[in-house]
Amino acid sequence: MNGDDLLTGRHDDPGPHDVDLDRAWLGVAAQVWRRRPGPVERAAGRLLRSPGLARALVTTPSLLLGWVIATAVVLIAGVGITLGTGQPWVALLAPAVAAVGIAYAYGPGIDPSWELSQSMAVSDRMVLLVRALAVFGLNAGLGLAASAVSGAAAAVTFGWLVPMTAVSALALAAATVTRSANVGVAAGLAGWAITILAGQAAGDRYTAAVTDHSFVLPYLAFAACCVAVVLFATRIPRGTR
Amino acid sequence: MNVELTELTRKFGHTRAVAGVTLAAGPGVFGLLGPNGAGKTSLLRMMATVLPPTSGTLRLLSRDPGGYGPRREIRRRLGYLPQQLGYYPGFTVVDFVEYFALLKDMPPRQVPHAVAAAIEHVGLGDKARAKLRTLSGGMLRRAGIAQAIVNEPELLLLDEPTAGLDPEQRVAFRGLLRDFGQRATVIVSTHLVEDVAAACTVVALMDAGKIVFYGTPAELTARGEGSGAAGDAPLERGYSAVLAAARAAVAARS
Repeated sequence: MNGDDLLTGRHDDPGPHDVDLDRAWLGVAAQVWRRRPGPVERAAGRLLRSPGLARALVTTPSLLLGWVIATAVVLIAGVGITLGTGQPWVALLAPAVAAVGIAYAYGPGIDPSWELSQSMAVSDRMVLLVRALAVFGLNAGLGLAASAVSGAAAAVTFGWLVPMTAVSALALAAATVTRSANVGVAAGLAGWAITILAGQAAGDRYTAAVTDHSFVLPYLAFAACCVAVVLFATRIPRGTR
Repeated sequence: MNVELTELTRKFGHTRAVAGVTLAAGPGVFGLLGPNGAGKTSLLRMMATVLPPTSGTLRLLSRDPGGYGPRREIRRRLGYLPQQLGYYPGFTVVDFVEYFALLKDMPPRQVPHAVAAAIEHVGLGDKARAKLRTLSGGMLRRAGIAQAIVNEPELLLLDEPTAGLDPEQRVAFRGLLRDFGQRATVIVSTHLVEDVAAACTVVALMDAGKIVFYGTPAELTARGEGSGAAGDAPLERGYSAVLAAARAAVAARS
């Protein structure tokens, strides 16, 4: 029997009453070894209409349980400080935490099989965008929950969502262009720190970054620019004709 | 032809890793030989649609990989084993092969059977549920080969596939190459001339980004006869003679 026959389970010259053991074994092995996707992966597969994309989503490093717990711990600490000091620390921490998570969503050094993933039919750009959106959504949810618990900062409960979008987009763009999650983290954290310190320097109010509504449009414009950079950096390369 | 390259070039800064390669390959096992830094891996990565060429024409499976749709179709029919196989240490062999079967857009109903067949094909059936972090280097290589063949590719690109395999596994692997070569284009980049001699129908030798020899293993062997080139085996002597002649030609031109 050759390799082709092994794959198809076909013998060259099976006797009339032979049982094709290879074929039978492959059928058994396929059932025994079969992995049962969890509920999240099944739901993602239905939503995205792609089991491959769903599988790529549930392997996101910054969506793994340990990472989610670490994110929750940071935000719980923010809740504690907010309740203790009356200052909106959850609002200041949430964008930074989200930026780190998004920078670590996809890329070389983050995904061990990144080189292989790039040669797959499911586009790596789609994997990147789906993972980034999922990490953003999870961080937004956790941030909202933390904001709701820290009632002292009710005035800025939603004020951090727009800056979080901008900082996350900056981290994603930097990580994508440089192909380095660490550079993405550094860019996101540095950008956010500069924004906060600029508010402190301009108006002696470091919370201006999340409370001043005049920043909303600049934040959104900046986020749009960063998304454009990501789309450009992940475009299908031309010049292959 | 499943692979058609015309004047394909890839630069990294001022370095030309691949310098105007023109090549065509149909079904069969195609060996890509050459010393370190010859440009074999860059050429293979371009054929795997991982690395875009700087210039030249690349057609794979009669499609232009520059467009989204054709590129996706190529990738559905492609098997690729990179030189450095990255893996998720917590995945089992089945998880690993299944992950790439899904990313290759295989119909989900076909995936379990295809995964089992690929794993059995590379002889890892007894390790199917083992975590990748517990496997030896040779077993990891075989898991990498399993993900490459899981979709029954029409174009199979293997970069140093026999690295880490023991002699018995290498013999079995050459049989697998010959099987696939009957219905697909298999391109194997390797340092090991005995792999080429045993499995390849056509061989190209690269040096400094260029193809300096293209022919059958027998023709490469013939180049070494009476040349006094270094090498323990006839094919190695052919390899050394062609490389020496190519470098002498370059030195004479400059």
